[in-house]
Amino acid sequence: MSSRMTASGAPPLIELRDVSKTFASGILGRDRKVALEPFSFTMDVDRPGIIAVVGESGSGKTTLARLLLGLVEPTGGEVLFKGCDLRRLSAADRRDFRHTVQAIFQDPYEVYNPFYRVDHVLTTPVRKFRLAHSKAAARELIEQALQAVGLQPEEILGRYPHQLSGGQRQRIMVARALLLRPRLIVADEPVSMVDASLRATILGSLRKLHEAMGISILYITHDLATAYQVADTILVLYRASVVEAGDVELVVKDPRHPYTQLLIGSIPKVSTIRDWAEEQPATPAPVTGPGCKFADRCPVRLPVCMEQRPPLYRTAPRRAAACVRLNSDPVLAASDFSRLLSPGPRAPRVPAELEPVMVVNASGGEATPS
Amino acid sequence: MSAAVLRVDRLRVAYAHERGVVRAVDEVSFELRPGERLGLAGESGSGKSTMALAVLRMIKPPGRIEGGEVWLDNVALSGLSDAAIRRLRLAGIAMVPQGSMNSLNPVVRIRDQIADALADHGSLPPRGALTEQIHALLAQVGLPPDVARKYPHELSGGMKQRACIAIAICLRPKVIIADEPTSALDVVVQRQVMQTLGQVQKALGAAVILIGHDLGLMAQFVDRLGIMYAGRLVEMAPIRDMITAPRHPYTRMLIDSLPSLDARGTLRGIPGLAPLLRELPSGCAFHPRCPMAVERCRSDKPAVREVALEATVACHLA
Repeated sequence: MSSRMTASGAPPLIELRDVSKTFASGILGRDRKVALEPFSFTMDVDRPGIIAVVGESGSGKTTLARLLLGLVEPTGGEVLFKGCDLRRLSAADRRDFRHTVQAIFQDPYEVYNPFYRVDHVLTTPVRKFRLAHSKAAARELIEQALQAVGLQPEEILGRYPHQLSGGQRQRIMVARALLLRPRLIVADEPVSMVDASLRATILGSLRKLHEAMGISILYITHDLATAYQVADTILVLYRASVVEAGDVELVVKDPRHPYTQLLIGSIPKVSTIRDWAEEQPATPAPVTGPGCKFADRCPVRLPVCMEQRPPLYRTAPRRAAACVRLNSDPVLAASDFSRLLSPGPRAPRVPAELEPVMVVNASGGEATPS
Repeated sequence: MSAAVLRVDRLRVAYAHERGVVRAVDEVSFELRPGERLGLAGESGSGKSTMALAVLRMIKPPGRIEGGEVWLDNVALSGLSDAAIRRLRLAGIAMVPQGSMNSLNPVVRIRDQIADALADHGSLPPRGALTEQIHALLAQVGLPPDVARKYPHELSGGMKQRACIAIAICLRPKVIIADEPTSALDVVVQRQVMQTLGQVQKALGAAVILIGHDLGLMAQFVDRLGIMYAGRLVEMAPIRDMITAPRHPYTRMLIDSLPSLDARGTLRGIPGLAPLLRELPSGCAFHPRCPMAVERCRSDKPAVREVALEATVACHLA
């Protein structure tokens, strides 16, 4: 089985190959709901980036995150970690996966056990992955991680979850992910339950981690405005498939798909007062057949939209959109999708203020500081 | 000046806490004109939801209304009996509470939930007329008549929120208080629900108090905006003034913390955390986080001053 190789010759960190997910419910699983249409993409670690996955509830964005984390099994296709199917990882590889890929979830309340001090979520990974040789070294590591996300260790350690604010708890989760020096963080709506004033701080610390330590981030959100601020690349999902993807600057400043246009037009802005456009009244024409999934709500629908699902058209080197009105552009080859998402070549980043205290080698064990 | 439909005068709400009394709402005063849309914004814990509950006299122990008065059409609510207050809720002031779409009874059809509200206020019409009235209400919030027969789980989030608005307006209230009505919805649905609320409010001639923390949403919906911090109304002004020329440093920072779609790399948070109400800083409660704080801010609590027409602010530097 040959896996696509990266420049360094090693298989990519994460590769999704024609991954799809269908949930069955009802009697004998007769109600089937497609949560994600076949989807392929690759995340290389030699080119770290921040990819935002944007979509409304039910668009499949959380399913994508859960597939990538191995929390649900794909219905079709496979998720590969360093070339191995997630379902068939050896114990050592699984350990490596749990170390290298970290998750931050939406709810900063539910992830804590209320009976333990918050230190517990920080000391457990240090112990399990033997990140430190002594108690003092562990403490130092934890304090560094907390400081990296803008928290004062003395204000945090020793407290119980209920004594901290939602923003503090969510930043501890970022610190926890950071402790493990992962190569990839999957953040599923990390700030949707946090006040606007704190969102900026938390997202800023994620962005800083990416820049200082070269961690790739998959940022899953329904908020296009924060996606624009944080990510380099964006992927817009609508009802289980990608409708637009590419460079965030291009997609946000000049959206080509009518759904992306609707999304951007719906964001309430402070820069303009009372300018919310009225949405075109949606003609109820549920698309169950082969047509474009957005056709029932699309203000610029053509007759052909009800019959044919449009492929992704590559409208620029680093962007594509799935709308039939763009059919003068070439169809994006499936194998080019990941290239569309990977950030352009740039100088390798030098870790700045966050000098790794130890280097994690390929097998997930410890190695001597470089 | 046109008569206010709702007048809140130096309202104070306190909670008994083992380490003393915590004041969640501290001397809040404002007026609401008929048909006006007023926004109340602030971080979590700033007292905005407590304020809404206090207006309806729905504060439960260990909390209590310590002082102040709420007037609806020149009737002081503190003088009303419990029965009269009960009648006034929904009929006079209706509330769309936070997360209300999850407060619909899961085992009762939408039709019966609306009928319950009508029956509770002795406004249940005869059978044939009831169906008609329910369909008319649903149509007003943009829902098709077949929603009446449905259970909440058969509806999407946006539809449930519309159903809640239909219940809120069933007795044609003068004031609608909507507490974060769209916080769980995505932007497209949010816009539709807010536009529905706006249309309904216009049709009824009701005034709306919109509570939330998204200043972008406020800019698109309200006429006037009040900013709450640590239980106090620290600034209030017409929305355009508030957004273009905020007077309180906290308002400025709240506006700046919104992610922009115009330029990247402009993400800015507000340093520090909202203070604990039981350990309020001396002087101005915002001074530890305020980049402009001077000595006086640490010692003197700034009073709420009228600084321009319809604009008040509580800041020594404004």
